[in-house]
Amino acid sequence: MRQEDQERILTELRSRLVRDIGQSADKGTTRVDEVLADSIYHELRRLKDEHDRKTREREMEFWRGIQKRMRRASDRAQLDLVGEVASHYSREIAGYFDMRVYRAVTRAGEPLLAMLLNAMSPKRLVQSFPHLPTLEGTLTVQGETAHLRRLHELGTVILVPTHVSNMDSIIVGYAVWKMGLPPFLYGAGLNLFSNPILGYFMRNLGAYTVDRRKTDPLYKQVLKEYATLTLEHEYDNIFFPGGTRCRSGAIERKLKLGLLGTGISAYVNNLKRGKAQPKVFVVPATLSYQLVLEAETLIDDFLKEVGKSRYIITDDEFSKPQRVLDFAKQLFNLDSRIFFTVGRGLDPFGNPVDDDGESLDPRGRRVDTSRYVMLNGQPAEHEQRDAEYTREVGNKLVESYLEDNVVQCTNVTARAILTLMRRQNPGMDLVRLIRAGGKVEDVELLAVYREVERLLMELRGLAGRGGVRLGPVVDHGTAEDVVADGLRHFAIYHTEAAATRRGDRIFPTDRALLFYYQNRLEGYRLEREEGIKPALAPDHKSLYRGAA
Amino acid sequence: MTSTTMKATILGGGRMAQVLSGMLLRTGVQVQLWARREEVRNKLAAALKDVKVCATVGEACEGSRTVFLTVPANALAEVSALYGDHAEGDHVVLHAARGVAEGFVLPHQAIRSQCCVRKVGALGGPLYTIADGSSRPLVAVVGSRFTETVELARRLVSGTSVRIHITSDIVGVEVAGAVSNVTALAVGMADALDLGETARGVLMTRGLSEATRLGVRLGAELSTFSGLAGVGDLIPRPVSSMQRHRDVGARVAQGATLEQALASVQGCVEGVLTAFEGAALSRRLGVKLPLVCAVDQILRGETQPRAALDEILRLDIELERESVSAR
Repeated sequence: MRQEDQERILTELRSRLVRDIGQSADKGTTRVDEVLADSIYHELRRLKDEHDRKTREREMEFWRGIQKRMRRASDRAQLDLVGEVASHYSREIAGYFDMRVYRAVTRAGEPLLAMLLNAMSPKRLVQSFPHLPTLEGTLTVQGETAHLRRLHELGTVILVPTHVSNMDSIIVGYAVWKMGLPPFLYGAGLNLFSNPILGYFMRNLGAYTVDRRKTDPLYKQVLKEYATLTLEHEYDNIFFPGGTRCRSGAIERKLKLGLLGTGISAYVNNLKRGKAQPKVFVVPATLSYQLVLEAETLIDDFLKEVGKSRYIITDDEFSKPQRVLDFAKQLFNLDSRIFFTVGRGLDPFGNPVDDDGESLDPRGRRVDTSRYVMLNGQPAEHEQRDAEYTREVGNKLVESYLEDNVVQCTNVTARAILTLMRRQNPGMDLVRLIRAGGKVEDVELLAVYREVERLLMELRGLAGRGGVRLGPVVDHGTAEDVVADGLRHFAIYHTEAAATRRGDRIFPTDRALLFYYQNRLEGYRLEREEGIKPALAPDHKSLYRGAA
Repeated sequence: MTSTTMKATILGGGRMAQVLSGMLLRTGVQVQLWARREEVRNKLAAALKDVKVCATVGEACEGSRTVFLTVPANALAEVSALYGDHAEGDHVVLHAARGVAEGFVLPHQAIRSQCCVRKVGALGGPLYTIADGSSRPLVAVVGSRFTETVELARRLVSGTSVRIHITSDIVGVEVAGAVSNVTALAVGMADALDLGETARGVLMTRGLSEATRLGVRLGAELSTFSGLAGVGDLIPRPVSSMQRHRDVGARVAQGATLEQALASVQGCVEGVLTAFEGAALSRRLGVKLPLVCAVDQILRGETQPRAALDEILRLDIELERESVSAR
């Protein structure tokens, strides 16, 4: 972000928050001292667990100062303190985009990702040179890329990709560069900034900080306002709408919509200002991997506490440079592909938009979107109404994710093996089957081929109707090709392969991993004729009740 | 904007359109009404002197942000498509359909599939008492996910004896309304077969239970069915549309074909299509709806009414309990 925009945004953010809180205090819906007391309470409580002594002391000093001054502050002075807290938060959140760094990095071209990956360990960077893994030939950027470029010209874009790995933000950033677009801003968890070198690159390539440990409502308000203001200043954004990496490996079905709602706020503010290009577009994108870097940790977290997963994981594979490099090298050495699929754009009300940026109704007629936000003839925000619009956008995104997900061999192979295991162990609780294994451990290779054939028939039919996308082998290969490719991928990276072949039998060596990879096919009703219950609940956040 | 200058559009020319026109006029709203057939328009223009009867949907929508769709569920998509040429994002659309369209498409889904409007509300509950015309308290339920829609409905009836109960559960209101018409068909059949008051009570309970089971499966809230849109809709005495359904049910039970039975009553019997589509959906989703399926089979002439209803009355009550707790 340009320095002058940064300063303007931070100043405006402070005055907006002070104005909004002042107004709700005038109406009697909020008390300023309560807002401050809430912030102090949440932050002091959080800081007790802060490991970094310097940070803890510095922050404690700030909050104690606020606490002390608040006691004798007038109403006006209390609002000033709110402004001070808002500035404190927003300076931490704000990224600093430096065009010089961006140019330097992007001039390097393909080795960009390698640099970023290796940036986590400068020693490894030196050791690995010149055999750095590159994304050339590994990442396929497909779908509505021209449409996305066009929308970028016509307004401000919110790109909303699926989220399974911490690598996503780097891959998406790279895909955006590949498409010839300027860098998009995105919120990244504070833990990703802990490495100074990676943090430096991320910050300079558009990342801003999101500290998910902060539970203060004012912090969340500042975060939303920051995103809104960047959109108003025509900075395209990337939002990961699941809020966190999907633990189960399935496609997100229940999105966190808070940040997505900023699209409407920015649009309303743009209309109020009479901006020439007030439009905000929401563009879904789907990331599809053969293997996922953090699969083991994520699925373990999902199974450990189904429905009560840790929201923040700080000790996964992404925090281990060696694992990241091994993953990248081995994955890129196979003829493996990561697919980044861009979907059709939507307006912030859930209508599809055409290549001219015009919103369309279900019969293809153009819609004047400003009418959606009119209150007494003026554009205005309305909390309940806008939340409802955003919910609709969320539903459309989920549909798009299902349609644009690229099914890979690892997904089909895992699905077939786990389905056979479930059939061989009827009535057995799914978690027990995954954790302890069934009475019959292995499955017959020929049976796996038959099951894969059935899945391929279902998937190819579905793909023909536009319901899903298929990777090259899944699209054209035989069942034998798919299983061979799936097993080959399972063997290369994880601590223990998800499944291994011994003669004419397949042994599920890591059933949790099989579960993880097969979950990507949840939601397509592939077993509707087979009498097998879905593994996951409709929201994909917990197990299906009674799944066996 | 005050209610005295407010304009409202009514698309449809049936009995509900007339009742609504009268009610809106009494609150000072300027009513612009469109009906497809010219003879209906002429009749309405003669009967409703203060209503502007329009020849086109566009004319009826001019200057209005409030639109009432008073056509049956299976005609909603067609009328909404016409309305779609004039629809705007700040319009509020209210419908009074008590059925579903082909494919078990709920009324709000039918409207949304044809135009850009978002703020759609369903009128439900013991709505028919509005037709009463007396000064006794009259109550309706408005289901909409948008508070602006329900606030507008309240504003429209302010100063009248009509009370609006609100819910965000539009799916629940629509499913309860649609299935209650299927129940009315079954009750009509039971009455014709002289099965008695107990049978009537059992069928109504079972109908509500099936509406609940199906509604919850489609995303409705359980509490809607024990409220005014569910139980509250079953208790009041029968009036025109409910009676129509009972009459059709009775005639079929007495041996008439469905075509003969439908020809014998005036107005739309939305429960017939709801029974057909409900039975198909029951098979598709694996949701147990024995009463809906039985009515479907009786209407199609695939089973004897007496035998089918006896079977329903014999069903274990445990099934209902299971339905309420099931998700």
